[in-house]
Amino acid sequence: MQGKMTGFKCKSCGRVMYPRHERCLGCKGTDFEEVELAKEGILLTYTKLYALPEGIEMPPLVLGIVDFGGVRALGQLTTDDVKVGMKLRPIWGKLRKLGGREIYGFRFEPAEKS
Amino acid sequence: MRGVAIIGCGMTKFGRLEGKDLMDLLAEASLRAIDDAGAGERDFDSVYVGNMMAGELVHQTTIASALVDRINLIPAAAERVENGPASGASAVKNGFLAVASGASDLVLVAGGEKMTAADTDVIGDLVSTMTHPTAEYAHGVTLPAMAAMLTRLYMERYGVTERHLAMVAVKNHANALKNPYAHLQRKCTIEGAMSSIMIADPLRLYYCCPISDGAAALVLCPAEKAKEFSGEPVRIAGFGHATDTHAVQEREDPAVLKSVQLASQHAFKLAKLEPKDIDVVELHDAFEILEIAQSEDAGFFPKGEGHLAVEKGITTLEGELPINPSGGLKARGHPVGATGVAQIVELVWHLRGEAGERQVKDAKRAFACNFGGFGNNTVIHILERMG
Ligand SMILES: [Zn+2]
Repeated sequence: MQGKMTGFKCKSCGRVMYPRHERCLGCKGTDFEEVELAKEGILLTYTKLYALPEGIEMPPLVLGIVDFGGVRALGQLTTDDVKVGMKLRPIWGKLRKLGGREIYGFRFEPAEKS
Repeated sequence: MRGVAIIGCGMTKFGRLEGKDLMDLLAEASLRAIDDAGAGERDFDSVYVGNMMAGELVHQTTIASALVDRINLIPAAAERVENGPASGASAVKNGFLAVASGASDLVLVAGGEKMTAADTDVIGDLVSTMTHPTAEYAHGVTLPAMAAMLTRLYMERYGVTERHLAMVAVKNHANALKNPYAHLQRKCTIEGAMSSIMIADPLRLYYCCPISDGAAALVLCPAEKAKEFSGEPVRIAGFGHATDTHAVQEREDPAVLKSVQLASQHAFKLAKLEPKDIDVVELHDAFEILEIAQSEDAGFFPKGEGHLAVEKGITTLEGELPINPSGGLKARGHPVGATGVAQIVELVWHLRGEAGERQVKDAKRAFACNFGGFGNNTVIHILERMG
């Protein structure tokens, strides 16, 4: 179980990145601190995937890109009742089974119950 | 840099080629290109073979060494070039640089992939491993999922509709019907495309390319020596090659294919040409949204207006700027490592006036875009008729 979804803030220029890079995408700086992303993000785009990858049982697999105010993350959505612009929040959970191993990470659930 | 000419080209038919393995295909395409150049008696200096997944899909490695043995180009320097779906154009670029630099006087460039013998799920997974391992792949992302998310951005922002995707598919299928080398030789209708099965909403089957086998090849030499060979030469006027962030979500604007923009700008600058100078184009429509997006980011249409050009018929064979006269990846097929080379073979035929029923009238200059990863690595070439 993991607490908060984090990004990596460049200590030289302040740019926040996710995922991690060895050198900053803005200034090539090499020092970072882990920072918590905003509690909620906005859904930028999504797909409902019917041709499933390994380790996903039930179609559709809903995937989307969520914008946390400049830094974005791609992930699975917990619902198929989705709309571009909806508010989502990260929630830790099982992503898929790969090569017999269970992979965990952040998924996204609606921030407000409709 | 020396000027570089394409003096020979050839390809196999693309499709489900039972009974032919990867080396059979590469040898067949290479011999056609060498024959086309009339270079059968010559010694080659170097060989570049574009291929993405031979080790994984057909359990064979070091295929460039195997090819020079099969067709006796020994002792030419030979290597395989892997750059995902842009492996083919990367091989062409390496061949171009070898000749332009003065290091090589006669170069064979080949590209090939044998895919249909493998399981579809295995191919889907291998291709998905191009995505960012932790930020994308781990979450279950596939290439159709990536293309679907780009399509939805386009729909929300620019008013692209499913009908536009279908129109691109219909056009490319119609072109492929005039291309004896194409994988899919059947007419596609708007209604048929729009009722095909959903792969990754909003992408249906007909907005995605098929899985194909095939190979293509070119022979290159310095432009000043092109007259020594039999075929009508075509000049490689410029190339461009650029990368972008691995994870799509990290791009400044995920709807912009910046590697296509930069690589195109570099290629046009080197060629001293502009988009308006181009007569015929091959784009990397692994998914139909990519033909629309690349036609904008390459500079042919303003951003957000590529689908309007499709509506107006500008990109058809009879239009002002024919795109994918071959049928594109959608209908000629997409044997991954072959694609970038096959795009150039197609354009050479148009520039020589040898493209048969699908010939673009009086084509003088041509543009090819080979797109790797999901847009994080793009290779562009610009070709020009010589003399
Ligand atoms: Zn920085």
